[in-house]
Amino acid sequence: MDAILNQIFAGLSMASILLMIALGLAIIYGAMGVINLAHGEFVMLGAYAAWAIQTYTGMSIIMALPFVFVAVALVGWLIEKIIVQRLYHRPLDTILATWGIGIILQQTVRLLVGAESRFVKGPEFLSGNTQIGGLIMSNYRLFVIFFSLAVLAGTWALMTRTEFGMKLRAVIQNRQISECYGIEAKNIYSVTFAYGAGLAGIAGALITPLFSTIPTMGTGLVVDAFLVVIVGGLGSILGAASAAVLIGEATALFSMLFNDTLGRIAVLAGIIVLIRFRPRGLFPSNTRR
Amino acid sequence: METMRARDLFSFYGKSPVIQGVSFDLQPGEFLAILGRNGVGKTTLLKSIMGLTDRCEGGLTFGDQPLLGLSTSQRAQLGIAYIPQGREIIPNFTVRENILMGTFARPDGKRDIPDYLFEMFPILQEFLGRKGGDLSGGQQQQLAIARALAMDPKILILDEPTEGIQPNIVKQIEDATIRLNKERGLGIILVEQNVPFARRASDRFLVLDKGRVVLDGHSKDLTDSVVEKHLTF
Repeated sequence: MDAILNQIFAGLSMASILLMIALGLAIIYGAMGVINLAHGEFVMLGAYAAWAIQTYTGMSIIMALPFVFVAVALVGWLIEKIIVQRLYHRPLDTILATWGIGIILQQTVRLLVGAESRFVKGPEFLSGNTQIGGLIMSNYRLFVIFFSLAVLAGTWALMTRTEFGMKLRAVIQNRQISECYGIEAKNIYSVTFAYGAGLAGIAGALITPLFSTIPTMGTGLVVDAFLVVIVGGLGSILGAASAAVLIGEATALFSMLFNDTLGRIAVLAGIIVLIRFRPRGLFPSNTRR
Repeated sequence: METMRARDLFSFYGKSPVIQGVSFDLQPGEFLAILGRNGVGKTTLLKSIMGLTDRCEGGLTFGDQPLLGLSTSQRAQLGIAYIPQGREIIPNFTVRENILMGTFARPDGKRDIPDYLFEMFPILQEFLGRKGGDLSGGQQQQLAIARALAMDPKILILDEPTEGIQPNIVKQIEDATIRLNKERGLGIILVEQNVPFARRASDRFLVLDKGRVVLDGHSKDLTDSVVEKHLTF
């Protein structure tokens, strides 16, 4: 019983990280129809930004989060302005272009910082565990779970409760008429892309105490995040959240029943079956494409 | 108030020039009707004013401001409100949100919905919380006009506002259009198939054929023989 509870907790922890990465992907796809293959590298940049801030200023990663968000969002904003914005009418090319951008970012970090794993210290005040009966929960993982819920709530509020969110929803539904009413769609796209990148950056910073910080760390994570987005329904925030929990939990439970490799196979097989019956995901939304 | 001037305006979809050398003036507070058969470029001319075609050449100014270098949203912010054919309200937005969307084009950044909109179209007040997509065609047209007025425009551009709308609302929309012109002094460019309405409401008219102006004049000169010659099939 305790083993199961602990696996459920591990699954939630996994889900919280996937959620933050997948949210950015889902928003970028939902708004612009862009499949951003450089998203994993935004996660990686966030991790390295946290490492750099901790190494050079001694700041804890929690304190560094706002700076990481702004830094990675800025990178995302530049990439959108310089490259992605020119390709909105060529969706297939955006896939290739963002993949290329991902490789460039990865190799740049490898050249500048080196290929070896970097160590980032978790925050002191979150070290230790909380124990309830046989359930042992790392305080840091608990924090990440609650933080990801806050990010989810914040993103939801941004989309539904702010003028920016209203403008974004208007542009998603009818770009031309939105422009006729003073909304500069290009700027909305840039900010949305930057926000998605910033979220990935935060996720990257938060996982530094849990994962090894290496230039290729984003690649594996982005695959899982894509699975979350596809299962959740492309472009849907609610879908991304529920799919993150589903995949995180399924991975954890299958890994306990079999082993990591077989668990992974079982999850992928499950997703294939699910997509067979719900090709547009759990909560499909009406996006532009 | 500004005058809108088009001089030898060409407008393209891809490489084909749909509008070929159109010129017109719209004085402040003037009501211009654009007439013509189907497919002669009336809608394209309106879209060209908003910058929604692929490319434009020639002269198009609003006051001293050349429009052709501006983005669609910048043109809107100058006070040019466009109500497209088919209305194109946002179906997932509530009536209130749809009207609020009009205020995004206000250069002063205010987000107030003027009260006179609801005097003009009381049904919108009643349906404020409903989704725009749940309204009837006529109500959607009223909503589209209200959205345009929420930006406090100087010019209203209407593309067949009475097309496909139940007759009792057609009258309301026609009266509202005339009132906006006469009482609030809004300049209006109207594309219309309904010639009697165009004749009654407008100060001047122009007839398009194959992307060119073939006739223009004062609306009192829009006689039956003119209609016979240029507008019947």
